[in-house]
Amino acid sequence: MSEIDPALNSGNAASSSAAAGANERKLARKETWRLIRRRPSFIIGMTIALIWVVCALFGNLLAPFDPLNFRGDLNSSPTWSHPFGTDKGGRDVLSRVIAGARDVLKIAPIAAILGVIGGVILGMFMGYLRGWFDSVASRIVESFLSLPVVLLGLLAVTTLGNSNVVVIGVVATLFTPVVARTVRSAVLAESELDYVESAKLRGESTPFIMFREILPNVSGPIVVELTVRIGYAVFTVATLSFLGAGPPPPSPDWGSQVSDNYNSIVSGYWWSTFFPAMAIASLVIAVNLIADAVQSVVESS
Amino acid sequence: MSDSPQTSGTVPALAIEDLQLAYTVRGVPRGVLRGVTFHVEPGEAYGLVGESGCGKSTTAYAAMRYMPSNAVIQGGRVLADGQDVTAMSTQELQEFRMTKASMVYQDPVQAMNPALRIGVQVAECFRILGQSKIEAKDSARQALRRVKIADPERVLDRYPHELSGGMLQRVVIAMALAGDPKLLVLDEPTTGLDATVEAEVLDLVRDLRSETHAAILLIAHNLGVIRTMCDRVGVMYAGRVVEEGTVQEVFDNPSHPYTMGLLNSIPRHGVRKTDRSLFTIPGNLPLIGTDLPTCVYVDRCPLADDICRNEVPPIVDRSDGHWTRCHHADKIDQIKPPEHENNDFDIGTDTIVKLAAVSKTFRQRGNDVPALVSIDLGFKEGETLGLVGESGSGKSTLAKTLLGIHEPDQGGSIHLDGRLVKDKATDRRVESIRAFQMVFQNADSALNRMWTVRRILHRSVTKLAGIHGAEADKKVNDLAEAMRLSQRHLEMKPRQLSGGLKQRVAIARAFAGDPRIVVCDEPTSALDVSVQAAILNLLANLQNDERTSYLFITHDIGVVRYLSDRIAVMYLGRIMELGTTDQIFAGPNHPYTEALLSAVPSIDGDARPRIPLTGEIPSPANPPSGCVFHTRCHRVIMGLCDITDPDTIELADGHTSKCHLTAEQLSVPVTFTSATV
Repeated sequence: MSEIDPALNSGNAASSSAAAGANERKLARKETWRLIRRRPSFIIGMTIALIWVVCALFGNLLAPFDPLNFRGDLNSSPTWSHPFGTDKGGRDVLSRVIAGARDVLKIAPIAAILGVIGGVILGMFMGYLRGWFDSVASRIVESFLSLPVVLLGLLAVTTLGNSNVVVIGVVATLFTPVVARTVRSAVLAESELDYVESAKLRGESTPFIMFREILPNVSGPIVVELTVRIGYAVFTVATLSFLGAGPPPPSPDWGSQVSDNYNSIVSGYWWSTFFPAMAIASLVIAVNLIADAVQSVVESS
Repeated sequence: MSDSPQTSGTVPALAIEDLQLAYTVRGVPRGVLRGVTFHVEPGEAYGLVGESGCGKSTTAYAAMRYMPSNAVIQGGRVLADGQDVTAMSTQELQEFRMTKASMVYQDPVQAMNPALRIGVQVAECFRILGQSKIEAKDSARQALRRVKIADPERVLDRYPHELSGGMLQRVVIAMALAGDPKLLVLDEPTTGLDATVEAEVLDLVRDLRSETHAAILLIAHNLGVIRTMCDRVGVMYAGRVVEEGTVQEVFDNPSHPYTMGLLNSIPRHGVRKTDRSLFTIPGNLPLIGTDLPTCVYVDRCPLADDICRNEVPPIVDRSDGHWTRCHHADKIDQIKPPEHENNDFDIGTDTIVKLAAVSKTFRQRGNDVPALVSIDLGFKEGETLGLVGESGSGKSTLAKTLLGIHEPDQGGSIHLDGRLVKDKATDRRVESIRAFQMVFQNADSALNRMWTVRRILHRSVTKLAGIHGAEADKKVNDLAEAMRLSQRHLEMKPRQLSGGLKQRVAIARAFAGDPRIVVCDEPTSALDVSVQAAILNLLANLQNDERTSYLFITHDIGVVRYLSDRIAVMYLGRIMELGTTDQIFAGPNHPYTEALLSAVPSIDGDARPRIPLTGEIPSPANPPSGCVFHTRCHRVIMGLCDITDPDTIELADGHTSKCHLTAEQLSVPVTFTSATV
């Protein structure tokens, strides 16, 4: 009576073929990973990022000197014992750069993840419910986006006080509207598809449709958004601490190192500013290279 | 053959000789065309038919040498008017495409640049031929007139998105004719169009052909289109031509089992579900790049025996110019239609679902757009109601309003088993939700692509049948078995399945509970005919076993005739005619139905005289006065139809028509002078 399927006849061993299906899916995921891993931008980005992760985890073992309390010659230029020189307080710049990784790598990913979670929830409601909620939320999001990030951050930190938690909260809040906009447009397109209608015809609840049916289908852009946001978070955290609104002193944060020492550049003491600045740049670039690799693979599949 | 006056002797307009073409995928060439040979005489129309994946379009593109970068010609030649297209330099090729041959694509929307006005794009075709700006503009105007566009000035000023699909396809054809080509390649030129528009475009191509004497290579999966348009036809399978001859010979005396299978899969000659199941072709097309058996069709052929497996079939001449590549061409009559199945198709006496005065008005930028106007319909248990009409007639809106996806206007009501159901699906009681289900047109969109088939079915079983745990697992397996899905398919995601299998999953989901009525919105329009036949058989069997009612929306008159017990014809949100399938096909009909039925290109070569539907369907936001159809009606009585909206009258018992004319008046045939066409 119908197209006879060769698989029908071979599919007698139910359990073994079920495993084969699950295997196929695992293979597909592996394939995606393989494609990402093969990209040169990913390899370079990951290498740099991993160096900083090692610094963050084992900084106290790697740093040749105590980043906070060591006192040597003031503003000594790079030598064999102090490869990155010392700063105006006589502290070893290399040790401080190594130790500074910890703060950034603690704050930036957490802030980015929280921002993405907030953005996904908000964007999901905006894109799926539409109507007045979307109109109101869209205007709020747009007004948020029109304000300068740094100004908002400074304002929040000066009012709420200087702590890692506040910085995380500020960066996450700043990212939420941006992510929400991306997620909203993905969800708008997705909820036009018939499977959403079909779920309604089965009597599914709105949260089920949003988070179980639609969410997995927009995970691609969300993953891309997350990697991109981590890069931005590193930069934003460094900017805030450069402006004195970062993690409180005496932490060896890269941004505050730059801001502590930048006025000695004119005196020729470039190293105490240059190396922390390079650390920020290298991490941002590394994360962006990873994001780039993830994006091109996710978008092409 | 070469009766056209200006032929260049016996040189064919297009000759493809043993063409072998492969696509390189990850460094490995995968054969797509495996020795295609045919020729098109000057002035002749040649059709290529076959299921998707058989290489029809690749052949068409190869004829123009439009090929993706990974295509490799491994052997054979393509000769256009004696010139080898495969050996041309870039410049020669440009010249060739400019003046000798041109192509019309399936989707006119994608063939046009959306950012440029029509005038600019049409004039460009003449500019590259060396005309000045002013000359080109003038030529563009004439080109549009040539494709029977009444108001070229207006169209030249528009952007592509402002034109309908049919109008846009005319423009594309006008552009293709700019260089007066000797060869016109048409790749599924009417696939996305309504039957009425399709008929008009085909009329146009036919007229242009007799005017220009261009040779035509027409690719179509619709066999009716090939039959009405072409002189000869080649049947392709797995990258080879397996049968060739005049359309009459091939379609009336098919001599290859594949041709036979294709023709028999289509519901034709008025066959009904109560008569017999449809033919299907078992198995699948061989994958591209695999080694082909000696006879390409051997794995799916009912006549296959040892000789087919061991020897390449010779070309067997059937009659003058009609040949087939089959060892058993003389045994072709042994392929029997499926045996009569004792399908009773009991239709209950009680009306289970009833729509009374259901209207639906959309609000668009402050305007009311009535999409449904006071629809009354009833469904009996186990009955199929076919719903036909052009795009934009409100078929899908009616379906979605019934299902509760759209909320109907105040004043209308939907009853299930005599009980009023809530307007919105989300407000409905569990029993009502379970009673109404739907099979969508596009299974890709209807199945969550991140879910496995098992999860899709399991969730439907828990929600719609209300069972859980091991009981639900068992039900999922039973459902899959009933849909002939294997255990292996259950662990797959939709994209790993073929179109037919995806539609089976969608049907399984609709039947997970115990639906009373299932809306089928063109469930087979995206499928090949043999797969369509299998899906139609499945739907018919399910209905027979479960006594489910169907609301079956389709453009395909053959399909609706096969499956439906009654047929409703819609126009601008109104039901114009409603009757049993026999009544609709026997007539007398509402003038709109009459025009619709006459537009269908027939595979059997017995086309009715065509009644043209002039113009496009009016906008529902601004419906015509009086009878909404009067602007396009061939039986219009001015002074009556344009003023008074007709009542629905009974033509016969259970056969109603919304028209001023009586059954007697509608029975009088209308004649058309060629001037009105």
